[in-house]
Amino acid sequence: MSPHDMDRRTLLKLSGLSLVGATAGCLEGEEEEEGTTAATTTAESGGGGGEETTTATEESGGSGSSYTIGMVDSLTGSLAPYGERNTRGRELGLAAVNEVGIGSEGASLNISVEDDESTNQGGVNGAQKLVNQDGVPLLIGSVGSGVSIAIHDSVTNDAGVVQISQNSTSPELTTRPELLRMSPSGAAKGQALAGLVSDDGHDTVAVTWINNDYGTGLSDVFAETFESELGGTVAYNEPHDQGQSSYSGILTEMASTDASAWIFLTYANEYTVMVNEGFDQGYNTSVDYYGAESTVADSIIENTPAGSMDGMKGITESAPQDQENYQNFVAAFEENYDATPTVWSAYAYDAVTVAALAIEAADEFTGEALSSVVRDVTRPEGEEVFNFEEAAAVLRDGGSPSDINYQGVSGPVDLDENGDPPGYYQIYNVEDHEYVFGDYITS
Amino acid sequence: MIPLQISPFQYVANGVVFSSIIVLAAIGLSLVYSIADFANFAHGDLMTVGAFSALFSVGFLRPMLGDAGVFGLPLWFFLALAFGMGAAAVISVITDRVIYQPVKGSDSIGLLISSIGVALVYRALVFLSFGTEAERYGVPRQGPIPWVRESLGIAVTPRNLVVVTLTVVLVAALHLTLTRTTLGRKMRATADNADLARVSGIRTSEVILAMWLIGGALAAAGGVFLGLEELVRPRMGFDILLIVFAAVILGGIGSVYGAMLGGLVIGMVHELVPLFNQWGVIPVGSRYAAAVAFVIMVAILLVRPSGIAGESG
Repeated sequence: MSPHDMDRRTLLKLSGLSLVGATAGCLEGEEEEEGTTAATTTAESGGGGGEETTTATEESGGSGSSYTIGMVDSLTGSLAPYGERNTRGRELGLAAVNEVGIGSEGASLNISVEDDESTNQGGVNGAQKLVNQDGVPLLIGSVGSGVSIAIHDSVTNDAGVVQISQNSTSPELTTRPELLRMSPSGAAKGQALAGLVSDDGHDTVAVTWINNDYGTGLSDVFAETFESELGGTVAYNEPHDQGQSSYSGILTEMASTDASAWIFLTYANEYTVMVNEGFDQGYNTSVDYYGAESTVADSIIENTPAGSMDGMKGITESAPQDQENYQNFVAAFEENYDATPTVWSAYAYDAVTVAALAIEAADEFTGEALSSVVRDVTRPEGEEVFNFEEAAAVLRDGGSPSDINYQGVSGPVDLDENGDPPGYYQIYNVEDHEYVFGDYITS
Repeated sequence: MIPLQISPFQYVANGVVFSSIIVLAAIGLSLVYSIADFANFAHGDLMTVGAFSALFSVGFLRPMLGDAGVFGLPLWFFLALAFGMGAAAVISVITDRVIYQPVKGSDSIGLLISSIGVALVYRALVFLSFGTEAERYGVPRQGPIPWVRESLGIAVTPRNLVVVTLTVVLVAALHLTLTRTTLGRKMRATADNADLARVSGIRTSEVILAMWLIGGALAAAGGVFLGLEELVRPRMGFDILLIVFAAVILGGIGSVYGAMLGGLVIGMVHELVPLFNQWGVIPVGSRYAAAVAFVIMVAILLVRPSGIAGESG
């Protein structure tokens, strides 16, 4: 073999290895795109970038015939699909409010929208424009948890502007009581799931979770709640990578513990592979499976054999489907957009409604006044009201903010002292290889 | 609740099945490495193409053949496997003629980059034709074979046995082809030194054709088996490519037998990590299985820089 030949082989090896490294990097990037909010509810299509989003903002004062509030939304960038959902929810919410009008003179509500481009900097820029130039006392925003926090820390907190995030789910927002949100904290789901598993009589469990922010966050809360608050034992608590060709190693590890319940905090494809392997190894008859919202998918049922996951249980985000206002919301949504609404649209709808209720209930159109009433209109102390019209009727009848309890289209809302709504979940189980949805639970 | 008892042999059984798939994929990659002289990054997606071609053929084979079965699997599956192997073989030859031959004038880097493009095209075509969702062949899963479970305490499914048996048959057939036929000798000669082979009167174009046919067919077999064991996914081949590369490099670049051995070692280590963990040999969980496999690859390369079966010096 000539020296020249040697060089060529070395080059081959080096080029091979370096590209292997490069493609491994690509993989990481693609994983992250799945985001922290596993997409099981993607009935609507994504996209919707270049939409015209401004609504008339003739005046921003409170005394005239209109009130203007701000909204920072992810109209472009990686979270644009959420932005589109929010746009639809916002439009429907705004239409419902403006049909009635705010205050005795029936003033209209305007929402001035800025795009955050799904980035923190974009969100801060948009919020600064809304708060400093337009002078809005209430701001809805935004989708990404990082964006919402950035807006709160650098704009709204100092300006005394009420901020309601429409879609952020990170537990981090809980540490900022003045940052309200419509979507429950991801922590609530882990707590609710731990409660479900514990109520079913399991005291030793094994947990495997997908190795990203979603899986890490959810499994941390689950394990913490299950061990510290419920006195159980988490015998196995290990992650797995997305897109692996086999998870039999994980399953055999779980099987070598004495756990009576296995909790899968993962995505649909990974869970399908695990169910098939569990069936091949005969684990499904020995332990109980539990999952969360991303282990509910038709593709899982289609790609696993009958009987391979019967008895599996879990919780999933749910809309209050037997509530009339939710049914009306769905009907209006389908009529206007020819699509089924997701919970993300419902959150935006509720954000607009809660904002309008706060304006209706507050003495004046300032951040301070709105801040003092915005929680009260959602709290359970008052009379249950299901839309802006009912709420406005109670308030104009001399009711105080705490006399009403807005029940949203996304759930009970009930903002607590940290500005978080309770998680609203539905329990599902698998019977005869089909999902059966049962009771609702709140965290 | 039946308490679960995991026999150490369960991990070995899992490892043999996983190794089979890696070995099939590694052979084709190694053949291209040695004869065509470049790292073919489209090889993983060629597996995907084979797996989806087989899936396509299931559509018409299944109604034709009904549910008649052999070895615990329906007959149509075996024909679909053959169809997938044939399709991938033809597609890899066409790719060679259309892409790799014209680019051949450039060095191995040019071919390598082209192969990444080919990989993306393959995947895009699969996305276009079959969508992005995971699919399956529809071979009914029967769970573990009861008597094996009772006598040996390990869970082995009929499909596990079929995968391992067919892999052994394919590898044996390749071995006989390489050692007992003129074509095989020509291939080995070309792999060893292409210039010398050409001067000796070997038609290298013929050898290259055979290389793509064999490599493509074996990659497809690996892809179909992977799809049978798990799911038929558009990213399945790409996701496993790293491990296949590790097997080829460990075995010694360009050596077919090295690739087989490398595939076996990498596949076994990958599945035995939980056992090593239990024994305290390597105190990490199976989430690091791929990392452990790569560390072992590096360790072996430190001792034998040209791989297990690589040419020394």
